[in-house]
Amino acid sequence: MFQAMGTHGPVLSPLASLVLDVLLLGSAFWLLAKPSQRPVMDSLILLTLVASVSLLRVVMQPLPNVQPVTVAALLVGAQLGARRGAAFAVLVTMISNFFIGDGWWTLFQAAGWASVAVAGSRLSLVTPSGLNVRRAVFASLAAAVWFDVVVSLSILDGTIGPVGFLVYLLHGLPFDALHMAGNFAFVVWMGSWFTGLLEEEPALDEIEFAVVNSHGIDG
Amino acid sequence: MIRRLIAFFLLSMLMLPMASAVDSTVSWTQENTPAWDYDFSDGYISTAPLYIDEKILVRTSGSSNPSVTALSVEGTFLWRHSNPNSTNNDMSPLLPVSAGEGACGAWPELVLVGWTDGVLEALHPGNGTVYWSVQTEVVGWGITGAGSVFEGHVFYPTRQGLGMYCMADGSQQWWTETGLGWRNGVTLTDSAAYVGDESGTLWRIDSTGEAYALASFEGKIRHAPLISQAGILVHVQSSMDSTVFVLHNETGLVLQQFTAGPSPALPVIMDDVVVLSDSESIHFLLCRDTCALESQIPFHSNGEIGINRQGNIVIPSNTPNSNWAHIVHQNGSNAVLESLDVGLYGYGTAAPLWFRIGSVNYTVFGDDQSVLKVFQNLPSDEILESNDFDWSTQSFLFATYLLLGSSAVFFLNGRRDLFVRTSSLLLVLVLLLLLPDVTQLWSSEVNEVFEETSEADEWDENWPDTWLGTQIVVFQFAEGEQAIGGLVGHQDVLSLTQSAVDDFDFSMTVEQTSIGAYISSINGIQGEGWEFYVDGSKGVLSADTTAIDSTTIVRWTPV
Repeated sequence: MFQAMGTHGPVLSPLASLVLDVLLLGSAFWLLAKPSQRPVMDSLILLTLVASVSLLRVVMQPLPNVQPVTVAALLVGAQLGARRGAAFAVLVTMISNFFIGDGWWTLFQAAGWASVAVAGSRLSLVTPSGLNVRRAVFASLAAAVWFDVVVSLSILDGTIGPVGFLVYLLHGLPFDALHMAGNFAFVVWMGSWFTGLLEEEPALDEIEFAVVNSHGIDG
Repeated sequence: MIRRLIAFFLLSMLMLPMASAVDSTVSWTQENTPAWDYDFSDGYISTAPLYIDEKILVRTSGSSNPSVTALSVEGTFLWRHSNPNSTNNDMSPLLPVSAGEGACGAWPELVLVGWTDGVLEALHPGNGTVYWSVQTEVVGWGITGAGSVFEGHVFYPTRQGLGMYCMADGSQQWWTETGLGWRNGVTLTDSAAYVGDESGTLWRIDSTGEAYALASFEGKIRHAPLISQAGILVHVQSSMDSTVFVLHNETGLVLQQFTAGPSPALPVIMDDVVVLSDSESIHFLLCRDTCALESQIPFHSNGEIGINRQGNIVIPSNTPNSNWAHIVHQNGSNAVLESLDVGLYGYGTAAPLWFRIGSVNYTVFGDDQSVLKVFQNLPSDEILESNDFDWSTQSFLFATYLLLGSSAVFFLNGRRDLFVRTSSLLLVLVLLLLLPDVTQLWSSEVNEVFEETSEADEWDENWPDTWLGTQIVVFQFAEGEQAIGGLVGHQDVLSLTQSAVDDFDFSMTVEQTSIGAYISSINGIQGEGWEFYVDGSKGVLSADTTAIDSTTIVRWTPV
């Protein structure tokens, strides 16, 4: 379930590549812009995260299928919500693939990690006391398998039947195991820290509103 | 208390093999130091070098200039004898012959060389000139097996039979047809010769050249049969595994059989210990009245097996980026493997050469990189001064110990969170180390289960019949196909493709990535890369980790 050598999926023309990039970038900005405009500082933090995780992915490329982005997408989704999680996933995929290798598979990787981020936002991984590590571990293991399956869909170019696809998935099981082990390590080592990093501080007007509201109730 | 006992047991079990590996690695590297290298630039060293007449003789092939080259013990080039017509990989080992006299006359010290174009030559080791030469039959290939000398005659397995030639002048005494053979070495006894073939038949040939089939098996016999006290031993290669048979010397009745892994190596016997290897393990059999499996060590080797002066095994790993193995054993049992980093990383099938000059022992390694590495042992006082330090190995061991120790300490102290953290890193580290071997084994298993679902690539009727039963590579270019067949002995797609590319004199760009070798261009055509099909099935792993059968059609198409 990994991007195999010698199997690239459909070849994209330069125009198609441009359309794909514009589509992905447009969707990322649309996700960031809706439903309301975000403060500049908020966006800067997210972009810093995008750059850091992209760099981490590029640096860790020599380790086969150890994917820091999966856990990052899961936790960004859990902490910042589905929209920003998906935007984060799309941007990280685009930027890191610019260095690692761009192509048809970028679409599937972006979709895979974006769906992981959406799942992260729905799984109640973050509680008022912090990250639920046990739940996050299980979610990251499932996310590894899910992501690998989604990315594997990129080889379906009409020449591979259902059995061939099944064989392809089976061949990749050792790599899936490594992805799961890597996710496990990322969650137990960095999960709580990363979640804390993403914790949103209430804005001044929100604090003022809360204080006034509280006094109002007291009065 | 129970927790402490469990931790102690786990630590003991895990640390024992590591401690053993560390100690033994230090011993070999302390005793041996690199003397010199010699780069032959192209081709493969597929058979063990030879020491004769104070020279090191090295056979290289698979290039535009298949040769036997003589070097001095200091590494100086002395002479080269080439045979440009031998265009396939020469697998027949060099055969030294001492000077002597027989029924046909006298002969000087010689080196016998069998070529894949069917030529058998006797060379003067002093200057490389040809003493005599004979032409044997060619069916795609010529001579690929090991010859043997007996009472003034040399017996050589040819492509389709066995010939007996006079040592003095090379005149053929008799030739008898057996079956189509490859790497089909001959074994001689006082009364008969034994040779196997590609259809799995073991032939017995008497002293007059009369041949009959002693036994027949499903598979291929690609080595010289071994004569043990328990009977004749053959390692029969099947498509996905192999079987070791022990046969009655006269009747050919199967007395015993053992299942082994795919792509067997050339087995050897020393006294009553038989050493076999394949793509999965090295096996030690103790053969007295019967054969019994004494030891088995996981290792991937498919060529020659070397035995040094101490009776230990030194064997090349036939995998990319691999080291050699040095195996110490006691009469086949208690075998302990030590990985040898000799500075050659890649496929290899040639056993090392050992020789001694004065008090210095030399070990010579060569492999498919066509580089020769010569080591000499150090006097004991110099050993103490040796301070070679393998940082990568030591770093890995340090990290492993650190994580293992930390995990155990945290487990004992009840620090569950820290135990989980350190164990998770240890798990990733172990999986990363196991991944190449696990991937290959798992891939073979999956292919075996789903073999019937693959669409067999159609045989092209225009291809020569000599390609039947061999490995074939097809390159799909815009202007048409380019195919080459008759290739044998390759274990993976990359090795086979490299051989085909060399034969065509194409260029090929291989990029090493985290998940294997990636072919980015062939013959200058880059496009979006290349993809391959094995017997009609699209390749799903990298070319260097995709195992192939002995009869395979690999098709490359640009993306």
